Amino acid sequence: MITLSAPVYSHEMTPTYPIFTDSFMAGISVTTMNLFNKRTDVSYYEIGVFTKEWEPIPFVSQYTVIPMEYLDTVAFDVYVSNLSLGSVEYICSVSQLAVGSTVSSKICSRVK
Amino acid sequence: MKKLLLVSLILASNAPAFAEETPITGNVQTRCLITTDTNGVFGNPSPTKLSTASTDGGVVPVVRYDVTLADAYLAKVTTPTAFSSSPALSDSVSWTGSTAVTKTTDAGMSIYETNKVTYGQTTQFDLTIAGSTWFSSESAALYGVNKSFPGGSYTAVILAECIAK
Repeated sequence: MITLSAPVYSHEMTPTYPIFTDSFMAGISVTTMNLFNKRTDVSYYEIGVFTKEWEPIPFVSQYTVIPMEYLDTVAFDVYVSNLSLGSVEYICSVSQLAVGSTVSSKICSRVK
Repeated sequence: MKKLLLVSLILASNAPAFAEETPITGNVQTRCLITTDTNGVFGNPSPTKLSTASTDGGVVPVVRYDVTLADAYLAKVTTPTAFSSSPALSDSVSWTGSTAVTKTTDAGMSIYETNKVTYGQTTQFDLTIAGSTWFSSESAALYGVNKSFPGGSYTAVILAECIAK
């Protein structure tokens, strides 16, 4: 029997609706996100924080570009100043493609 | 008789436990999973054209979205407007592209195709039902005015986005 199968590559980020809480620093809030890489063609994901109009918002995390092995799950904290917190609408992760890859994936969670 | 009962009780109290309760814990939460089901390949039906259409000898890229909660996400698929790698090109490339729902796990998802919104090269679908949806994107590139593409390797990228509502 001959079977033909195509490889599948997945990207997942949770939670969908993150909640910021006070961090250990005054004036700074934090939320924790989880990223799962099931893409053999992707080793890095870039993190971004945006307003409702997709304007970038300054933030701090362990990495802005997170290195990830295949099948890795990474939890990362996103720190945002309380002055910007009211404007935060989306936290996104975007795959950074290796040469030859043809599908870029982007997942955005929403801060309600 | 009393001795026999006592022995039986002692044996019963020392009997090893053959059953244990092993808890299985889990956490169900809203999530969106983007999966590349099929990588696209450009066909070259004429010297001036590259196309992923099967009629042009190409392979249409397919992206699958899995969502676990209804009405929580928007899917946006953007077909290419430039090559991510190619030989040096001295003229402009005109791009066309379209994205369609090709397979679903729920019959009600057929409404995604009816209600899709297209702007520029982006097609947006409202994922109102939990389950999996497969999107196929056709893309074609024409070089200059009837110019032949230079020989070499060409790559273009489709952007698949899943945006929480």
